[in-house]
Amino acid sequence: MTLVASAGNVLVWIVWIGAAFACLGSGIAVVSFSNPFFSALALIGNLASLAVLYLLLSAEFVAAAQVLVYGGAVMVMFLFVIAYIGPQQESPWAGGPSWQAVGAVLAAGALLIEIIVVVGLKASGGLAHSAQLGHAFGSPAEIGRLFLTDHLLAFEVTSIVLLVAAVGGVILGAHSRREHWGSAGSDALRAESTRPG
Amino acid sequence: MTAGAWICLLSPLVGALVITLAGTRISRRTAAYVSTLSTAVAFAGALTAFAGLLGEQPHERHHISTAWTWIEGGSYQSGLSVLVDPLSVMMMLIVSGVGALIVAYSIGYMDGDNEERRYFAYMSLFVFSMLLLVEGGNLVLLLAGWGMVGLSSYLLIGFWHERPSAIAAAKKAFVMNAIGDATMALALFTVIQKTGSLSFGALGSVHGSTAANLIALGLLGGAVAKSAQLPLHTWLPDAMEGPTPVSALIHAATMVTAGVYLIVRTHVIFEQAPTVQDVAAGLGAATLLFAGLIALVQVDIKRVIAYSTMSQIGYMFLGVGVGSYANGMFHLMTHAFFKALLFLAAGIIIHSLAAEQDIRKMGGLKRMLPKTYWAFLIGSLALVGIFPFAGFFSKDSILAAAMDRGTYGYILWVAGLIGTFLTGLYTFRLFFIVFGGEPSPFAREHFHALRRDVVGISMAVPVAILAVLSVVGGWIQWAPFWHPIEDWLHVVAEPLVSPKDWQEWTSSALALALGSLGIGAAWLFYGARRRPVPRLAFAQRTLEHKFYVDELYDAVFYRPSSAFARALTAWVERPLILGSGREIGDDTRDLGGWFARLQTGLLRTYALAIASSLAVLAIVFVAVK
Amino acid sequence: MLGPNVAWYLCVAAFLFSTGALGVLLRRNPIIVLLSLEIMLNGGNLALIGYSRHLGDGAGQIFAISVMAIAASEVVVGLGLVVAMNRKHITLDVDRMNTLRG
Repeated sequence: MTLVASAGNVLVWIVWIGAAFACLGSGIAVVSFSNPFFSALALIGNLASLAVLYLLLSAEFVAAAQVLVYGGAVMVMFLFVIAYIGPQQESPWAGGPSWQAVGAVLAAGALLIEIIVVVGLKASGGLAHSAQLGHAFGSPAEIGRLFLTDHLLAFEVTSIVLLVAAVGGVILGAHSRREHWGSAGSDALRAESTRPG
Repeated sequence: MTAGAWICLLSPLVGALVITLAGTRISRRTAAYVSTLSTAVAFAGALTAFAGLLGEQPHERHHISTAWTWIEGGSYQSGLSVLVDPLSVMMMLIVSGVGALIVAYSIGYMDGDNEERRYFAYMSLFVFSMLLLVEGGNLVLLLAGWGMVGLSSYLLIGFWHERPSAIAAAKKAFVMNAIGDATMALALFTVIQKTGSLSFGALGSVHGSTAANLIALGLLGGAVAKSAQLPLHTWLPDAMEGPTPVSALIHAATMVTAGVYLIVRTHVIFEQAPTVQDVAAGLGAATLLFAGLIALVQVDIKRVIAYSTMSQIGYMFLGVGVGSYANGMFHLMTHAFFKALLFLAAGIIIHSLAAEQDIRKMGGLKRMLPKTYWAFLIGSLALVGIFPFAGFFSKDSILAAAMDRGTYGYILWVAGLIGTFLTGLYTFRLFFIVFGGEPSPFAREHFHALRRDVVGISMAVPVAILAVLSVVGGWIQWAPFWHPIEDWLHVVAEPLVSPKDWQEWTSSALALALGSLGIGAAWLFYGARRRPVPRLAFAQRTLEHKFYVDELYDAVFYRPSSAFARALTAWVERPLILGSGREIGDDTRDLGGWFARLQTGLLRTYALAIASSLAVLAIVFVAVK
Repeated sequence: MLGPNVAWYLCVAAFLFSTGALGVLLRRNPIIVLLSLEIMLNGGNLALIGYSRHLGDGAGQIFAISVMAIAASEVVVGLGLVVAMNRKHITLDVDRMNTLRG
């Protein structure tokens, strides 16, 4: 039994290492590419590796939702927009390090180090023993039950937020009704539209 | 008799108030009459007080009448009180009497001036202030009167305020008087500190020579400034910018003699500081020589008489400095008569010659102004001290008193005798230039006689009265034979010296001789034109520049102060005080702008701010946990 | 549990979060910024799921699903803005969008 357990452990470890490195690598790739299209593709890889990690953490439904929602909807939307906008090349690391860059690196680095330190300190203590899970942990049934009983408020609020976002998307996407605003308004609008940002 | 004193004090004040409040509702002549009447009433009040005192025994002659308690603080108390004693009554009579004559003269002299009402209001104010000074029952009121006469002097010197020279002279007079006021105030502070009271009697209870010296020095400073003695004398010649009656009243007869009165009134403290008293006498002697020399080269008729005033007050200071208080006061009285006479006569001359004051343009006025000629002659003889005119009796007693004071006294005595010679010389130089010889072309062209109406009468009558007083006024005391003035003032201020008869005769004889010598020299040079005036270019220049004292004060005091003031304006006022207001505004705006720089509008900056704060908060959170 | 300790997952989550933060702070193209924002949100999700596993409480997963929904909504609005800006021919550079400058 222990051999199977230890083999399973080793397998999990291998998978974990692969997924973790893929995650980190794709994360860095998202931030580094100059072409947004490649960044979006890297993000898809990131999401996939995260789904694997979720699976390792017994959160099956969440992993599925991640792939469906994030990968299927959000990333598709991103790719659509990137395609619509067209090629936007930007040289992200051009020029010397401005104080903004230095500050950013310092802040992000500080955050990282702090969290790792704290986690490391607690690793042997509070984080040593995880709880024993029930059989239904992470299953859709369990998630559904929790949504409709303990966390009903979160459920409703999230749906309202989604509604708001939909409305916002519609408004932002609608063409401005130039012909209904009269000549003065349209002149101003036309002037504004040709003004560079 | 204290009622008389109160009437004397308040009547001019009422006059001034009436003129001020009535404004243009009364005519100018009416204002003049009101002022003259108020001063005459004051004289009547003084006579009543005098009569009252006469009926009493000498040791009873000291009345203080308090209206109400004016200042009270802790254990200190000062009342609004008048003092009626021989000294104050004497001064009251002089001030109100001569004052009434001069104010009456002004009716004619100032006739036609646009601001006549203001003039008479100021004159009444002055008379009130001077009476307050001499009648004040304590040092506080004396100081109040002191300051107010300085104010009246400023107002009247600068009366013709369209003239910049008049304004400058008024400011100069006020500033120099202010120096004296400051030293006097310091002296009074010391008195309060030592005795806790400012009554005249408190001066007697000051013990300790340092305090007495300081107080006496402070009082002397005030006296020197007010009486235009060295070194605070430069304002008096410039004060001649004022109308002639003002020069007569304020700068000859009354205000400038306030210093002498002060020393006599506070003689107790001076006697406790004999060095200071000697200094006073020395200053008097120096001034009388100094002024006498300068008067030899003056060409403005009023300035000659002004320097003569300075010189004669030097005699008075000499007198009270050696301790001969009664003689100093006696000379004050006779000087008031003949100096006012001289000024008023000069005023008639100026009036007749269309306001010309330069004696080089005058000449031979004897034929045109015969009565004025006699008046001026009487005044001049009295000034030089020729028997039997007034000055003889008073001046010679002072010289005799100086003889009784030891070696230092002899030095002063010699100075006084030289001064007598100088007095004769400059006085009759003036007399011969103005009245002698042939009428000058200018005089012929511009002369117009006095009108025979109120104007002319109001100017002629006071001159006549003063001429009579200059003749007989001195006879009231002839030291070796009868001395009622000395007896009168004995209870107030006992003299420190009592010259013997041989000293009196010697002084009189020498003074008379030297005075006559001066007159003779003047006749030689200026009268008969027998000899040309000796020309010593260096001496002439020095005297014309008044020994360069004005230039000295300008260099030592005025230039550094104004440079300092300019430096302060540039370095302190503009940057610090004015600039600070502006800079506070600018700095606040800059601070706001600096903070506004945080609002870059850039998304990334805000995000960075959030990230950094998060990092910091995380550390805090972990540390606290 | 099998495999690494929860702590390791948390470290990965921290790394993702800081990487996403770097991207938000350093990139100028708004699309890339939004993508980096997604990375940050995913890092947070991973932490949530990790703790949910550690504590045996499903609330973490509920929270993570809500985060996902909200992230989607935010991306909708954000990309809508980007598209609108593009239609108005505004340069897609977050540094240029500083009309709120004080």
